[in-house]
Amino acid sequence: MFNRMISWIDQRFPLTSFVKHDLTGYPTPRNLSYWWNFGFLAGFVLVLQLATGIFLAMHYKADSGMAFDSIQHIMRDVNYGWLLRYLHATGASAFFVVVYVHMARTLYYGSYRKPRELLWWTGQGLLLLLMAISFMGYLLPWGQMSYWGAAVITNLFRATPFIGDQVVIWLRGDYGVGDATLTRFFALHYLFPFIIVGGVVIHLIALHTVKSSNPSGINLADKDNIPFHPYFTIKDMFGLGVYLLVFFVFVFFFPNAFIEAANNIPANPMQTPPHIVPEWYFLPFYAILRSVPDLIGGVVAMGLSVMIFAAMPYMDRSRIPGGAHYRPLYRLQFYIFIIAIFVLGYVGSQPVTDNIVLLGRGATLVYFACFLFLPIISKVEERMLLKRGLPPAVRAMVEGEKA
Amino acid sequence: MINHRSSKRFCLVLLLGLLPLFANASEEKLDESPIPTDRASIQRGAEEVVTTCGGCHGLKYVKYSDLLTLGFAKDKVDGWRGPLPLDAALKPQMSADDATASFGVAPPDLSLMAAAREGGGHYLYSYLTGYHINDKGELTNSVFPVTRMPDVLGLSGITDPKQRAEMEEKAKDVSAFLIWAADPHAQERKHLGYYVLAYVFVMTILLFLWKKQIWHDIDRQPKIE
Ligand code: HEC
Repeated sequence: MFNRMISWIDQRFPLTSFVKHDLTGYPTPRNLSYWWNFGFLAGFVLVLQLATGIFLAMHYKADSGMAFDSIQHIMRDVNYGWLLRYLHATGASAFFVVVYVHMARTLYYGSYRKPRELLWWTGQGLLLLLMAISFMGYLLPWGQMSYWGAAVITNLFRATPFIGDQVVIWLRGDYGVGDATLTRFFALHYLFPFIIVGGVVIHLIALHTVKSSNPSGINLADKDNIPFHPYFTIKDMFGLGVYLLVFFVFVFFFPNAFIEAANNIPANPMQTPPHIVPEWYFLPFYAILRSVPDLIGGVVAMGLSVMIFAAMPYMDRSRIPGGAHYRPLYRLQFYIFIIAIFVLGYVGSQPVTDNIVLLGRGATLVYFACFLFLPIISKVEERMLLKRGLPPAVRAMVEGEKA
Repeated sequence: MINHRSSKRFCLVLLLGLLPLFANASEEKLDESPIPTDRASIQRGAEEVVTTCGGCHGLKYVKYSDLLTLGFAKDKVDGWRGPLPLDAALKPQMSADDATASFGVAPPDLSLMAAAREGGGHYLYSYLTGYHINDKGELTNSVFPVTRMPDVLGLSGITDPKQRAEMEEKAKDVSAFLIWAADPHAQERKHLGYYVLAYVFVMTILLFLWKKQIWHDIDRQPKIE
């Protein structure tokens, strides 16, 4: 019966071949480390955000007079509404943690390199969408930080040449952030996640064309690729368990860790909070924005700091295969880059003082230098490594690499 | 040559070197003494808030019926609510306009106060007990010097240590109630959290063992760098 049903479907839809190509038979390098779990985790968090978000939307009121109250209604009166909201709010932070680790892994192991450029760029697109969604979602509770965060960020679009003021009004739907802003942000906050789902499908199609990279950074021989199922389904499930342990500690015991105190005060356009900070996941970029003294320069620097990742496949000019594992200079630079991000994150969270500005400027320079010097560094490193002779293991793998 | 370990160590040293720069947080000192979480303290605090603070402050997200859930007797709650229905929010006795006329500012709603201030319950406790007479002989508050709220618990005028300790106890109960009011499901949340974590923990161990079993043959193959 079951087989008959499947063959009925197969004559009309490539079900069996799809499962075979993309799941049971999908060849996956056997040496993937646990850093390779984060792509799956990002997919899981996306589904959880969609599920909790849809239920929250059933009780939320996108109206500047009711939004704040409706959140408290969800927190107090809706059955397990507090759980829905804490899952969703913590989930937003978790999404960025997972995606940032996923990106750091890609950088470290050189997974952005040929032939995975399109995979990397679709990922860059997903990051931009995620940033837009979380920024708009943060306005919805209509607290002080929501309001002033949105006011500050939309105001940045004043930097658009010639039509800056009009762009800001167009984004807000009004001269200031107000009811029109809230309703459009809500509409888009509900729409964009489904675009992300589509983007993820494209990301996965690209992945399944070029296949996963691996810690060595070199394509493995056939015998070293194993089917995705059951090996990586079970490994992803185990990783998910570990992830959930950490996630639930925050959801159930520290749910307010990522909610600014000032956001528990209803939005008040007449009163600026003493210290406006964006969510933690925007802090490094916010610090870069503040490090440039002039508005247009700051906005350009901030935009560049997010978009420059897309240039990685061209910045990295080394012919040495693989990622940081065999490339000491690139590895050093990777760690310096990570430190710069943490320093920028700290700077972004602090009120502006002379020392903080200085530290921020230094870290901004280091941040961009990591990208801009990469063409030179990778070439110097290549020459150095070739002169010294590649380690036998790498050489063997380069020779064994399938074309 | 820079190898793997030394570049990691280099970064660690760099990070540690930067640490002193980070340690300049300039927050006002809050009294961090623990705020009770037991039902009895929350109840005493609720009574104090309804009878004393309720003169000026409302709690628009807390209903009179919530006080029944907290364990107050029906006739006590009936006495407090007067003609208001049971599912009405706790209303201030003084209208916002009258209060603004007297204090120059409307007393803020207290339902979310414990969540809306950095430091939460410790802020509330420090604020309520922070009233004192400064060197110039003026009444001031150590965490909110220019506050327009009067010293309702009267701590600035108490000299007797025993009486002071009593009032501090009262301030703790009030803070305990306001913490409850800001997040009434906190107890239930933590309770559920233990079960969820225990379940996920056991599940994760089983998944780990299952993974080991499935990967048994692969794990025995020579490692790829
Ligand atoms: C006589 C009226 C009155 C009474 C009674 C009163 N308050 Fe207030 N309260 C005020 C006013 C007015 C403010 C606004 C202060 C300001 O912003 O300067 C205020 C502000 C506050 C704040 C906010 C402080 C801040 O950080 O902005 C808290 C917390 C507070 N009151 C707690 C209480 C508690 C708890 C009680 C009962 C023990 C109480 N109040 C009793 C008038 C009152």
